[in-house]
This record gives sequence, structure tokens and C-alpha cells, in this order.
Amino acid sequence: MLRHKLRTRITTRVVALSAAAAALLGTALVFLIVAVTGQRDAARVAFRSQEALAAAGQLESSMITIENGLRGYAASGLKRLLSPVNEALGAYAGEQRRLTRLVSADPTQQARVDEIARSIADYLDLWANPVIRLANTDPADARSQFLSNPAGRARLGAMRSQFDALQERERSVIKSRVERAEQRSAYAIGFGLGGMGLVLAIAAGCTLYLRRSVVLPVLTVAEATGRLASGQLSTRVPAAREDELGDLARSFNSMADWLQHSQDELERSNTELKRSNAELEQFASVTSHDLQAPLTTISMYAELLERRHGVEDPDGVPALVEGIRRATSQARGLIRDLLEYSRAGRGPLHLEQVPAGLAVEQALEALAGAIEESGARVNVEPLPVVLADRANLSRVFQNLIGNAVKFSGEDSPEVSIGAEHDDGQWCFSVADNGIGMDPEQSKRIFEPFQRLHGEEDYPGTGIGLAVCERIISQHGGEIWALSRRGEGSVFRFTLPAVAALREGDRGAPVHARAGA
Amino acid sequence: MRRAASIVAVLLAALVGGCGGEGDRDRARTSTSPATGDPPTGGPPVRIGTKNFTEQYILGELYRQALEAGGFRVELKDDVGSSEITHQALAGGALDMYPEYVDLLLSEVANLRVRPRDPEAAYRAAKAFEERSGFTLLAQTPFNDANALAVKPAFARRHRLRSIADLRRLARVTLAAPQEFHSRFEGLIGLEERYGLNNLKQVVTKIPLQYAKLDSGRVDSARVSTTDGQLRKRNYVLLADPKRVFATNHVAPVISRKALRTHGAKLSAAIDAVSRLLTRTAMQKMNAAVDIAGRTPRDVAEEFLRRKGLRS
Repeated sequence: MLRHKLRTRITTRVVALSAAAAALLGTALVFLIVAVTGQRDAARVAFRSQEALAAAGQLESSMITIENGLRGYAASGLKRLLSPVNEALGAYAGEQRRLTRLVSADPTQQARVDEIARSIADYLDLWANPVIRLANTDPADARSQFLSNPAGRARLGAMRSQFDALQERERSVIKSRVERAEQRSAYAIGFGLGGMGLVLAIAAGCTLYLRRSVVLPVLTVAEATGRLASGQLSTRVPAAREDELGDLARSFNSMADWLQHSQDELERSNTELKRSNAELEQFASVTSHDLQAPLTTISMYAELLERRHGVEDPDGVPALVEGIRRATSQARGLIRDLLEYSRAGRGPLHLEQVPAGLAVEQALEALAGAIEESGARVNVEPLPVVLADRANLSRVFQNLIGNAVKFSGEDSPEVSIGAEHDDGQWCFSVADNGIGMDPEQSKRIFEPFQRLHGEEDYPGTGIGLAVCERIISQHGGEIWALSRRGEGSVFRFTLPAVAALREGDRGAPVHARAGA
Repeated sequence: MRRAASIVAVLLAALVGGCGGEGDRDRARTSTSPATGDPPTGGPPVRIGTKNFTEQYILGELYRQALEAGGFRVELKDDVGSSEITHQALAGGALDMYPEYVDLLLSEVANLRVRPRDPEAAYRAAKAFEERSGFTLLAQTPFNDANALAVKPAFARRHRLRSIADLRRLARVTLAAPQEFHSRFEGLIGLEERYGLNNLKQVVTKIPLQYAKLDSGRVDSARVSTTDGQLRKRNYVLLADPKRVFATNHVAPVISRKALRTHGAKLSAAIDAVSRLLTRTAMQKMNAAVDIAGRTPRDVAEEFLRRKGLRS
């Protein structure tokens, strides 16, 4: 449970962080909406107040129109001066209703409008209409009323101060609402900017957190993986964290532990193998050497036996001694070859620039007897200079040419030796027209003591090609055969070209391989 | 987390709280009549108008308070204007009643040039006139408020003035009077017609400022009312009016008969109960209380009615 809890810590943190960010942003958004709504409401109220102001102005102006019209009519008796009065009388009720509707949200203003309505009713009932009636019956009296009686003006004056109070309040409402709208819009801008800043801060925080908690640990592991891949198996990463990345680090460390363990194991068994191999070869070499002496002794005693008793018993003994001598010679050949094989590919190479043609010549000299005896024709193409151990290279050619001459068919053998440059190395070939072999056998023949034919058909210990293989691979090359039964064989081997060898220090790997 | 939530809530509340209205701060005082005494009876209010000077304001308050004490709803429309305007407002249906001076009604509203023989005849004539157009007069008051011409005692002595007729000897007499004096029979027209005065120079003056003008010597004479409180100081000489240009002028409420029908005999009884008490002395005292002592008509009327037992 605890483990599970710890393991999901990064996930939990990311979720918690996202939730907190969302909550903060949501809050900022709510504030923004409230501020914008407040601004809209304030603007709406301010607009209605503007309308109320306009309506109040209109109503007041209607009353002034009535008073002025009446005054003009009373003074002149001209009926036409009454037409604006009648117009205003027709319109004022609508204007008054409109004003009432516009201030309906404000009880104070509503009361003021009621008061104004009463003033208007009084003005019309107690002044304007009486004056009109009076003017209709007694124009002179009406005129004198206008001159003498300030009642209409007084009523209008009172009404005007009521209008002033009404308008003053609407103006203050407009002012306060405009201020509020501005304040709200400032809030809205503030919350918007704040929200944006919050988003940036959260993004930066997340980035930093991810970088610190996720990217850097992962990079550490990645670098460690690189070091591990380049062979530094002791590489480890700190694994103190208790989260997913801690798990990653721990997994990495246990992988590295396992790798190092395997590597140690491998090296130990390798060393063991080398040691036992060396012991075995040492044993073979010592044994072969030590076996030479008794064999020599046996063959010496067989000679003495022939010399002493060959005359007395000319029929029986020489044949027996001959058998002993042949077997001894066979055993010595076997031991010699064994010794040669055990030495081949061991010990330091004396690398020098060797003209391959020279090595072939040495081999042909050594094989001169066999070649002459078989009547073989050897065709040597121009050969390059290679970096090799002269004696060993000559030995390889000697074995291959010797085989070509030995495994001939009924025709007299024809051997052709050549070389081609191929991708930084030389590929030598020794081709013959001999008996050939099955293609599937062409691998086996490079193993020691592998023979395809009986001793009586083709003499030999079956060690030559194995020796060749060891020498070539010590030089860093490969050797293989292409053949079919009855169609001759082509043996090919590769050696690094001199130029290629010169370019890099190929001596050491060759040495290393020689050591292996 | 809980703390964050509470912070958010507080911020929200602060933001939203600012949006409330600021109403209710000054609820307007709109009720017309302070509800005193009995609860008002049903039906439309009695609309009382008054003309544009002190005595009228006091009369309006007297009738209003007495009627309210009697359980009526009352709308008092003060300071409507001169008789001409106020009577037109009554005729137009904007008022149910107003107190009017009987002779003034005859001369200025009914446009009668001939003076009735005596106050009773005047009252009958005025009542008959009103009843022709759907109105009537209630009982007239004991006091009469005649117009008169007043001069300072020193001025009277210097020119040996006793009667209006004596003014003929002067080359030019300045006279403080309200505007309508100019075009009324009870004004320059009657004075010229009856006394042959053509040397009068009217200085238009709003009531009650004529006393101040007279005192300061800016005018030689002033038109006054016999019930004026200022006259109680006996600082002025009233010129005799042998040719009766200025009428007796008892006060009688002019009232629409429709209102009487609507509210019944109880209304006229309540009004008559007030009118009956208004003697010349009472009226002069009340006028003086307002014009000289600077009290309000409402106060003065309330005190009077209380003393007379017409309101609690």
C-alpha cells in the first residue's frame, strides 16, 4: 500500500498541480465574470439614468412651454400661441409615465417623480387651466393675473428645484455607475492579466518541476546507460528517490549489477578456459617431444635388430623390422605434425613486408621433389607484398600447394596461384584440377586430424589445413575452400593489405588474437 | 484547501456586495396630512384651496385641521393665487372649496358693479351667484376683512387727512398695493370713480410688504386689510371710506355642491363650526402671530382650534 502510494507520487503531484492550477484559473475566471457582469450592470443602470435625465428634461421643458405659451396668450390674446401649450398638454402625460417607468428601480427617485407629478397636477389644475378659462372669459383679467400673480412662476420654480433634485441624483447615479463600471473593468483587466500571469507562472512552475523531477533524473539515467554501453560496468545512479524515477534508477542499477556480474563470470570462465587450454597444449607439446625420444630409441633398436639378425634370418626378421620401422615413422610423423599444430598460431608473429611471391617460391623449393615426381605444373601469377610472418606464410603456401599436388586425379596436376585486392585486403587463391570434394565437407577439412581419404590412398596426418587455418586467423584473415567432387578445388585466404595495415595500428590486435 | 475556499468566498462576497443599491437612505416624506385623531373616513379627500396671503393660509389650516379632526381626509392647496385664479380652479374642478370674501366675490368674480345694500344682501347675492354654477356658500364668518387705505399718523397730521376724499388735495400720492389693485373696482378704478382720485401712483407690492414700505417712507399710503395683525400696533391711520369703495367682506367658504353631496351634512357642520368662531379680534391675533411673531399658520391654527376644543 505504502509502496504503491510512493510509486504514484509524481502522478499524484502532477494531478494535484493540475487541479490546483485549474482551481486558481477557475477562480480568476469567476472573478473576471463577476467583474464583467458588474460592469455591464453598472453601464445598464448608467444608461437608464441617462434616459431618465432626458425624460425629466423633456417633461420640465413641456411645463416651461406651457407657462410661456400661456403668458404669451394671456398677454396678446392670440389663440395660435396656445398651440404649443396644447401640444405640451397632450404630451406631458406620456413623458411623465416614461419618467416614472425609468426611475421605478429607485424608491427615492420614484418618490421624487411622484412629488413632481403632484406639482404638475397642481400647476395645471390650480394655475394653467384656470388661466386658460379666465382668458377665454376675461382676457384682460387673465393678462393682469400674469403680470400681478407670481403663482405660476412660483409653482414652476418649485417644480424646477424638484427636477433639479431628481436630475442631480440621476447624475450622481450616472457618475457613480460610470466610476463603478470603470472600476469593474479595471478589475476585469486585472483579473484577466492576473489569470494570464497565473497561467505563465503555472507553466513555468510545471516546467521547472518537470525538469527538476523528471527530465534531469531521466537524463542522469540516460548518461549512465551510455557509460554502461561503453563498457563502464561500475556505473551506478543515485536511487534515493521514492517515486517512479527512483524505480527507474533502481532498475538501472540492478541491470548494471547483473551485467557486471555476468561480465565477471565470463572473464573468470574465460581465464579458466585459457589456462586449461594452455596446460593442454603444453601437455601435448611436452608429450610429443618426449615421445620422440623413445620412438627414436625403438627405431634404433629395430635397426640394430635388422643388422644383427637380418643375415641369420633373411626371410623373417627384415619384414618384422620393416613393420616396426614403418609404424615408428608413422608415429613420429604424427607426433611431428601434432607438435607443429600445437605450435602453429602460438608465440609471437614476426611481421614484415613479405613479397608473397617469395613465400610461394620457398614453398615450391620445399615441394620440388613432389612436384617433379607428379609432373605437376604450377602457374604463379604476380603476387603483392603483404605484411606477414614470412616463414608462416611460406608454410601456408607449402601446405596448400602440397595438397593440390597430392590430391590429383588421373591427369597430371595443374596448380594456379593468384591474388586479388578486395576491400582493403588481399584474397589469395590456390586452385587445382584435383579430385575435389563435396561442398559440405569443405568446412570440416580445416579441423585437425580430419581426413577424407584413407592413409593408404593419400598419405598424411590431416593436420596441414588446420595449421593453415591457425596461421591465417593469427594474421587476422580467413581461409575457406570451394570445391566439388571431381572438379578440382579452390582454396582462398585473405590477408590485410599493407596499406590498410599501415593506416592503423593493426599490430596490436593481431597480437591480441595471436594471444587468444 | 478549506482556507483557500474561504478566501475565495470572502473575495466573491466583497465583489458582489459592492453592487447593491443605496436606496432607502432618504425615503421621501410624501404623506399629505399627518394622521391625527380619528381614522379618516372613506371617499375622496376634501380639496381645500387658499388664496395667496397670510389670512388665507390661516383659514386653510383652520378648516383642514378641523375637518381632519372630524375624520375627513383633506388635501390643502395653499397659495393658489388671486380670487380670479382660485375661483377658476374651483370652477375647473381642481378644488372642492376655498374661503372667499363675499363682496370681493361679487365685484371681481361675478363682476357686479353695484354694491349690495348691506352684508346680508351681499351674502345672498353671492350665494345665488354661486348656486347658478353648481357651488354654494357656507355660513359666513363673524369677522369682516374689509380693504382700507392706511397712512402713517405723521403723514395724516401734516396733510390733515381723515377720509379718502381728503387725498384729492395732494398733488401725488404713492400707494403700495398688490398688482390686482390696479384693475379692480376695489382699487384704483373704484377710487377714481367714487372719489375722483387721479393722483394715485400705485407701487406694486406683495402682501404684507406694504407695511414695511409705509414704515420706511417709501410710499405715502398702503392698501391694508382691516384684520391685518400689523394694525394691532395702532401705528397707522385708516382713512374713512364714506363712498363705500371697499366692501364689508365677511368670509364665507365657497364649496362645490357635489362635495357636499358626497360627504353629507357632517362636512358643512364641521366647516360652519370653525367659521362661527372667527371674530375680528381672533383673526387679527392669528394674523399678527404669523406676520409679526413669525409663527407658522399651521401652529397658529392648531393652537386656536385646541383652545376652542375643536381638536385634541
